Amino acid sequence: MKKRRWLLFVGVMALVVVLLAPVYAAPRVKLTVWGRDLPDEQADHAYIRALINNFKAKNPDIEVDYIALGEGLMDKTKVAMANNKDLPDIFQTWGGSTMGGYADAGRLLDMTKELKSIPCSSAAQQAMTWKGKIYGVAPFFAIAGVFYNEGIFKKYNLSIPTTIDQLEEIAETLKSKGIQPFACGAKDKWPVLALFMYLTDRSGGVQVFNNAADRKSRFDNPEFIKAAQKYQKWVKKGYFGDKPLSETYSDAQQLMATGKAAMQISGSWLCAQYANKEFTDQTIGFFAFPEMKGGKGKITDVMGMPDIAFAVTRTAANKRAAVVRFLKYAMSVEACQAEPGRICSVPGVKARNPLTEKASNVFTQAKEIQFWWDQNLPPMVTTPLLDAMQNIFLPNADLKKAFTTYESLVEEVMGPVKK
Amino acid sequence: MNDAMVEKNKKDFRTGSWFSGVIINGILILLALSVIIPLLLPWFFVFKTRLECSYNPWSLPTQIRWSNFAEAWTAIRIDQGLINTVIVCLGAIACTVPPAAMAGYIFARYRSKVTEVIFYLILAGYFVPIQMVLIPLYKLCSQLSLTDTLPGVILSLAAFGIPFWTIIYRSFFKSLPGELAEAARIDGAGHMVTFFRIMLPLAKPATVLAVLLVFIGAWSDYLLSLILLNSQDRFTMQLRIAQFLNAYGVDHMPRYAAAAIIAAAPTIILYILGHRWILRGTLAGALKG
Amino acid sequence: MDYDILLGKPAKDKSRKKQMREIIFFKTFFLLPAVLFLAVFMYYPIKETFQLSMMRASGLGESVFIGFENYVRLFTNEEFQSGLINVFRWAFWSVVIQIPLSFFIAFSLVAYRNKMTNGLRAVYYLASVLPSAIVAMLGRFMFAPNFGIIASISRKFNWVWLDKVDFLGDPRIAFWSVFFVATWAYIGFYIVYIMANIEQIPVDIREAAELDGANRWQYAIHIVLPIISYPLRIIAVLCVVGSLKLFDLPYLLTGGGPGHATKTLGIILYQQGFVNWQYGKAAAIGVVIFLLSLIFTVAQFSWQRKEGDIG
Repeated sequence: MKKRRWLLFVGVMALVVVLLAPVYAAPRVKLTVWGRDLPDEQADHAYIRALINNFKAKNPDIEVDYIALGEGLMDKTKVAMANNKDLPDIFQTWGGSTMGGYADAGRLLDMTKELKSIPCSSAAQQAMTWKGKIYGVAPFFAIAGVFYNEGIFKKYNLSIPTTIDQLEEIAETLKSKGIQPFACGAKDKWPVLALFMYLTDRSGGVQVFNNAADRKSRFDNPEFIKAAQKYQKWVKKGYFGDKPLSETYSDAQQLMATGKAAMQISGSWLCAQYANKEFTDQTIGFFAFPEMKGGKGKITDVMGMPDIAFAVTRTAANKRAAVVRFLKYAMSVEACQAEPGRICSVPGVKARNPLTEKASNVFTQAKEIQFWWDQNLPPMVTTPLLDAMQNIFLPNADLKKAFTTYESLVEEVMGPVKK
Repeated sequence: MNDAMVEKNKKDFRTGSWFSGVIINGILILLALSVIIPLLLPWFFVFKTRLECSYNPWSLPTQIRWSNFAEAWTAIRIDQGLINTVIVCLGAIACTVPPAAMAGYIFARYRSKVTEVIFYLILAGYFVPIQMVLIPLYKLCSQLSLTDTLPGVILSLAAFGIPFWTIIYRSFFKSLPGELAEAARIDGAGHMVTFFRIMLPLAKPATVLAVLLVFIGAWSDYLLSLILLNSQDRFTMQLRIAQFLNAYGVDHMPRYAAAAIIAAAPTIILYILGHRWILRGTLAGALKG
Repeated sequence: MDYDILLGKPAKDKSRKKQMREIIFFKTFFLLPAVLFLAVFMYYPIKETFQLSMMRASGLGESVFIGFENYVRLFTNEEFQSGLINVFRWAFWSVVIQIPLSFFIAFSLVAYRNKMTNGLRAVYYLASVLPSAIVAMLGRFMFAPNFGIIASISRKFNWVWLDKVDFLGDPRIAFWSVFFVATWAYIGFYIVYIMANIEQIPVDIREAAELDGANRWQYAIHIVLPIISYPLRIIAVLCVVGSLKLFDLPYLLTGGGPGHATKTLGIILYQQGFVNWQYGKAAAIGVVIFLLSLIFTVAQFSWQRKEGDIG
């Protein structure tokens, strides 16, 4: 009798093991994610750290292989996309036309169905949409505006300008007091774009760029030239310091951090830094770029782009469920709350510091969002645009010629203006 | 060559005033300073906090703070990348120096129309800028199943290094006198023996230079490793450092400077250890010459 | 031909034919590794590049064959023309400044040999072993307008003339700033290489010169220089080809700016290929660099042979 009972026991155990085995043996789904920052203790990596670590903890059945590529992210993504080999499942991107190029080439996965109902601001969703299809999510969105040194403004009794003329007056005052009015970072070329976009918009409205990009008008049309000339005038007046072209973007930040410059027209991704007491002891605020008297652009026209965003490639075609879980967590309040400074596009996330809150307000009040132009054009013509714009900082450059040259390149790539 | 000759070699010229000696030595020292001073620059940053650094980048540090080094060190996680880097370096040396030496030898001493053509073909490899071939190279490596492997990186690095060192070796072998080969032949030596016993040792300066420079080149390689490697655990140290630093170290200059010093330290230390060999190598060449 | 020396072994050992076969076997065996490596890892990508240069390719979509259109567009493009001029300028000044400078230093280190100069040699070479990212960083520390050390010093001592100089932002000066940094980084190698060659010159030659009453510098110019002219030519080739390819330092220091002042072909290639998605154009630039290097090198080597090659 004992022997039979023992046999029964063994049999039951065997059955249990056999039944449970599939659970243990079940291969975990593996997601390969390419991002820029390491999920380490650095303050501005808090979000990615929260995202990766928490997601892994909450989802033991998904194996997440997150690889931080630093500055090499874009290059490596390009090589992988070009070769269409060894693509990651999810990669960090900045949406817009670069992502669009990958989508057109069939490298990305259409996730419209799964992602369209995730709560987020429409601008953020729009940024991850290309030709009507959604390819990813943008938990953080950046807008361009004016950072300013509150201490300096108070000291000289300056108040936040509502018109561009007032802005110029402020610049004059600052210059006379020996403070560089604007920090820019013209050496790195792309920082020049922010002010140029706003000058063009405030004068002619968002259609100026949209029409040119849709090939309804030329890139050397008077609105662009006018804005460029005004910009050039400001450079000549010394509003950008005496050596604007050697100033890198990091130099610009140093200038703001030490109070040597009073304003900077750039994107809200800087909020975390400028709110960090270890980086700067100045108090820095944020206001929306003022309007132009008699111009068509409104103060609620805002230039923006994704700050952190993820897109999905075709390699994830049979892992949709896992991918969706990852992206949904990326867009969750819990993960986003960890971020110290960026503007979150997920409703319900509170800003962690007053500076971000100010920037957030500008974002929520925006009625018209135009994507940064270098995200909004085919990649083949974005750097040439920045090159053309750098002429603004060369005091004797012929701006019309620069823009006409640019227009001919655009015609080569995108076709001429269609009447 | 006997000892007396060696002694003579070491003596200075008799003619020439001591005055010109002073001037020349002075110029040399100035130039040396111009090398050393820039290397000292990061040290002004590493002991400061970010605020101190922003306000007074070039003042002498007020406090010796090691926290920046500590942070940079832990963030780089050297232990994981080091082995990969060492493997790549040693592999690169093995795959670059011997082929270059052998080919250089042929081009120097066994010349014919055919070898001249082949020489130019190899030389052509030097004309190629890396960025141009990155994408086809990746495609090629994936066809050979070499992507995401260290050998893939090693072989690619070798392919870029061989043309350069072949030129150098050819030049060295050319400058060796033909009588030596003649003497070797009379003694009954075959081609291989001549090469390994006589010619190669005489080209020691070139070999030392090659080993050193290939090592250092492989150590600091960034672009090839970035493109060809996909898995985190295959990343080399240089990639890990790049993960940690962003392009300009914008928001944390002191830590960036610390990481740069740590990144450059191995090559500098290796160089300090290795330069004695170069000295010894060149002297040996002079003795036999 | 050199292998006459190794032929003609005593007839009792081998027949002439066998020796020839032996030599060919030896040559092939020795050349094989290098050629094999390059054939696989270099020529395939090069061939692809030549093909790509004739196409309109974005790397993502299909490639369209357009013949020489890329080249035509290139040569009429202002940016490319600037790039071409810049690399020629760079090559010229590298040869004219870096080679004499290296020779001067190398010879001084040999002729004025004492304990100190031995140590100095190590110092000069030190700059060469640093990765270009670090060299660029040091260059920025030196030249940056507000936070660079030169700017800080000129402000401290009130040297307005120095403060006015915009090292990296003034189109006329930027080229020289980058050139200065490059010289700093590259000549260490040239110095060591030249030194190794100088030290191989037999002592008797130097003694003969001494007896004739030559001082150090006359010896240097009239005797040493001709003897090492082949190695110097090698360096010239390395300089010029290096200039044609140049990318790292100018890109990291100035990004090619301001305007087109420091833009090299290498930078334009990178931008066209990796930023603008114009792979066809990038490949065309690569082909131009390749051909220019080839022309120059062949010219150098064949010219020298006419003068009575030593080898």
